[in-house]
Amino acid sequence: MTRTRSPRTPKKPPSRGLHPWLGWALKLSLVGLVVLAGFAVYLDAIVQEKFSGKRWTIPAKVYARPLELFTGQKLSKDDFLTELDALGYRRESVSNGPGAAAVNGNTVDLNTRGFQFYEGLEKPQPVRVRFSGDYVAELSATNGSKLSVVRLEPLLIGGIYPKNLEDRILIKIDQVPPYLLETLVAVEDRDFYSHWGVSPKSIARAVYVNTSGGKMTQGGSTLTQQLVKNFYLTSERSLTRKLTEAMMAMLLELHYDKREILEAYLNEVFVGQDGQRAVHGFGLASQFFFGQPLSELKLHQVAMLVGMVKGPSYYNPRRNPERALERRNLVLDVLEQQGVATAEQVAAAKKMPLGVTTRGKLADSSFPGFLDLVKRQLREDYRDEDLTEEGLRIFTSFDPILQMKAEASVNDTFKRLSGRKGSDDVEAAMVVTNPETGEVQAMIGSRQASFAGFNRALDAVRPIGSLIKPAVYLTALEKPTQYTLTSWLSDESFSVKGADGQVWKPQNYDRRSHGTVFLYQGLAHSYNLSTARLGLAVGVPNVLKTLARLGVTREFPAFPSMLLGAGGMTPIEVATMYQTLANGGFNTPMRGIRSVLTAEGEPLKRYPFQIEQRFDPASIYLIQSAMQRVMREGTGSSVYNVLPKTLTLAGKTGTSNDSRDSWFAGFSQDLLAVVWLGRDDNGKTPFTGATGALQVWTSFMRKADPLPLDMPQPDNVVQAWVDSRTGQGSDANCPGAVQMPYIRGSEPPPGAACGGESPASGETVMDWVKGWMN
Amino acid sequence: MNKWLIPAVAAVALLSGCSTVQRGSIPVEDSGTAVSNSERISANGGFRKSTVKRPAQAQSQTQAIPQGDTGVVVMVPGGGAVASAPISTSPITPGPITPGPIDTSPVQSAPINQGSYSMPSTPSGIPSANAGGLSADEQLDGPVLALLTTAQQQQASGDLNGASSSLERAQRVAPREPQVLYRLAQVRMAQGDAAQAEQFARRGLTFANGRPDLQASLWELIAQAREKQGDSAGATLARQKAKVSL
Repeated sequence: MTRTRSPRTPKKPPSRGLHPWLGWALKLSLVGLVVLAGFAVYLDAIVQEKFSGKRWTIPAKVYARPLELFTGQKLSKDDFLTELDALGYRRESVSNGPGAAAVNGNTVDLNTRGFQFYEGLEKPQPVRVRFSGDYVAELSATNGSKLSVVRLEPLLIGGIYPKNLEDRILIKIDQVPPYLLETLVAVEDRDFYSHWGVSPKSIARAVYVNTSGGKMTQGGSTLTQQLVKNFYLTSERSLTRKLTEAMMAMLLELHYDKREILEAYLNEVFVGQDGQRAVHGFGLASQFFFGQPLSELKLHQVAMLVGMVKGPSYYNPRRNPERALERRNLVLDVLEQQGVATAEQVAAAKKMPLGVTTRGKLADSSFPGFLDLVKRQLREDYRDEDLTEEGLRIFTSFDPILQMKAEASVNDTFKRLSGRKGSDDVEAAMVVTNPETGEVQAMIGSRQASFAGFNRALDAVRPIGSLIKPAVYLTALEKPTQYTLTSWLSDESFSVKGADGQVWKPQNYDRRSHGTVFLYQGLAHSYNLSTARLGLAVGVPNVLKTLARLGVTREFPAFPSMLLGAGGMTPIEVATMYQTLANGGFNTPMRGIRSVLTAEGEPLKRYPFQIEQRFDPASIYLIQSAMQRVMREGTGSSVYNVLPKTLTLAGKTGTSNDSRDSWFAGFSQDLLAVVWLGRDDNGKTPFTGATGALQVWTSFMRKADPLPLDMPQPDNVVQAWVDSRTGQGSDANCPGAVQMPYIRGSEPPPGAACGGESPASGETVMDWVKGWMN
Repeated sequence: MNKWLIPAVAAVALLSGCSTVQRGSIPVEDSGTAVSNSERISANGGFRKSTVKRPAQAQSQTQAIPQGDTGVVVMVPGGGAVASAPISTSPITPGPITPGPIDTSPVQSAPINQGSYSMPSTPSGIPSANAGGLSADEQLDGPVLALLTTAQQQQASGDLNGASSSLERAQRVAPREPQVLYRLAQVRMAQGDAAQAEQFARRGLTFANGRPDLQASLWELIAQAREKQGDSAGATLARQKAKVSL
């Protein structure tokens, strides 16, 4: 405590000279004073410059999609509670304030917190959600009046951190909860409102308390000094530093009022470490320890946070809960002594548990795959400094519930298939989107989803194998005068000589040819021979054009082998391609970000929904129909071992040579997922598209429980009765008649009626219906 | 304005058996042949010439005359018309056609009593004001109605980005509601993006079967968007479609 005298030096009148050598001393001290004054001027410049400008750089914050609530919404109660837990809602018996939720059977009462969105402010409000099955059956205010739509605040899923990894959530002094300021002053600096930067009284008291061996509840430094220390100085411990600190504290007090200094303190204070990230300020501390906004904190929580200031690591409530609790209660005692809180309030607060969230990390590395996508999209529009310093708020389409399900699907499937030799070396990537909005909802870049490294979903360019086939068939189906779903294709082997003289001789996966097949069967069973023949007939360049129209920007050479997927694509590119197929032929640029707000909540940028019609809905209707048959009867049919038959899905398997890549891409009405499995060293895997990637996909769809695919039939599509063996026009009453969709005018001429109702057909209908339902 | 809207909406609600449009289940069993959509067929996003050449179009052109509202019931595979397809199942794979895929969307849809949120009493008829041809023949969900109302207010106050954002929110809630796409197209138009306005209107048309008023409005919007883009021939074509729809 040597510094006690030093700060006052400039104000102390110099001693009078009585002896000649004292005159020298006087002169010397005058020189010293001048030097000190010069130093003070220098410090003053520093103090003012840093304090008046932008005080902190704040990393951009990335938010998940806000969960929307409305009557009729498909959402299970379990998923809803998962979301509430992640948002740090307190489970209470009666929901009694923002951030509280009470569960009662199928009904959940909660008080939302409100949030500033791009579209405007979502007010905090009490809400009652009643569930029925996997749907929201009713949404009302707690007084019973109906609510049409409510948004929860979005989950913070990460930030874009600068190198020093200092993070904070800025707060204004009027946003603090009751007791915080009083508690802080009572515990850290009782004379805060009366001193001018340094407090001899509190230093004396600290010395006295320390030497008399009592419990140390007060340090000698004022809040102002603590702020100066953290804000301007290094952690070096020396006399000169203490001197500088005291001078700066006084200079700060000279220029700024107490509330400004206190507000800066609230945001600067260090309260903990989260891996690489330093947690600063009570705003972030509140989120970090309680998962709640600062303004919601109750007395016992305030006491814990203020108590931690003395030793953030020593009193860390997650690592040292006993110490933290003891310290908190000590702080509560001080509040009672000082008259800040009544004895009853303190007694009640002491009964409360610490109440810190068990989640250790504030999502700063939890979803690296998706955050990677967000960062890349942001870097197209912002400089690095904007992202790490300006406190931007990034609103994304990320769905944490779907992400958890996707991760679980990968883990479960690998566990289930672990018996297969070589499966340990197999990596995984997955992209989940909503085809109706073009938004990316989940992403896995590595089998270890929390591992931030090579993002295979964005960067692994791998041969897509049969995933290309829908493009081949779509090219054909766009020429309805030449091709329909029931056109005949030859599946006999053949060979072609390329321009370079090389002979290309494709083979079927089962190394057999299948004679003559219907066009749709070539796709459903993924026959290479018939597909290659069809592709050569429509022209490889035309197939590549179709691919480009589907949204694939990558360029491929027009080799015949392209028809069977020799070209490489990334999982996200595959998702873009299939999205156009899923969304009625409308292409949407893949989006992960919806909007960006400034740190103050002002709208900055929007990433609008854009669509472009690339295909006639009729040909898309036909290709979807064929892709549904992939699932019903073709290479994807194993899904219905697990999923209900009522769930219409469309998709395609893909396997590259020697099973080096196992792909599946498919969609329901509202959910599209692309799965890739393979080895980083491009070695052989034990999986085909159907035995590997499709298993992950199926597991995911079972967990996600999507809506069945249901594309409205375009006007220029007709359903015609055809003979299931010949493909010729038939009549509804004829045996073996099936209905197939055709682009109007391309359907076979209607066949003659077979007269009367055949009893046999009635029977088959029932058998058939039963067949699907079982 | 709003006064007559409420009973009209109520009547429609009654008539349609309160069959609120569910997310993911667009009305399916209606007379989809009333309008030819051949217009929007295009190979590469462009409209005009290429469309007319195609044989399939020529066919459907002849169908373009409205056939009255009684319309044929079109068999939609997704329509849950389950029992009508007599078929023999055949296990032999490359053999005969296996029975068509059945979609049973009704099975999956919400088990909620839909009457409970029939028509919110919020009288602000979004469609009425600048929504052109939209009228009471459309019934909207509570959340969609609320969001369209918000968007309308934002647009009225000049906040087109906010309106756009609210409409995209509505689109996420009800991705296949053509009225939402129609409003999105309108706002894009107001923002000066005629190309996107046309695209959204075209997307709206793919979900607007059996809703002639809405189809007419969508075609009219497409006509305006094409005019803005300097395609007067395309605009004229779209105007004809708008008339046919009505």
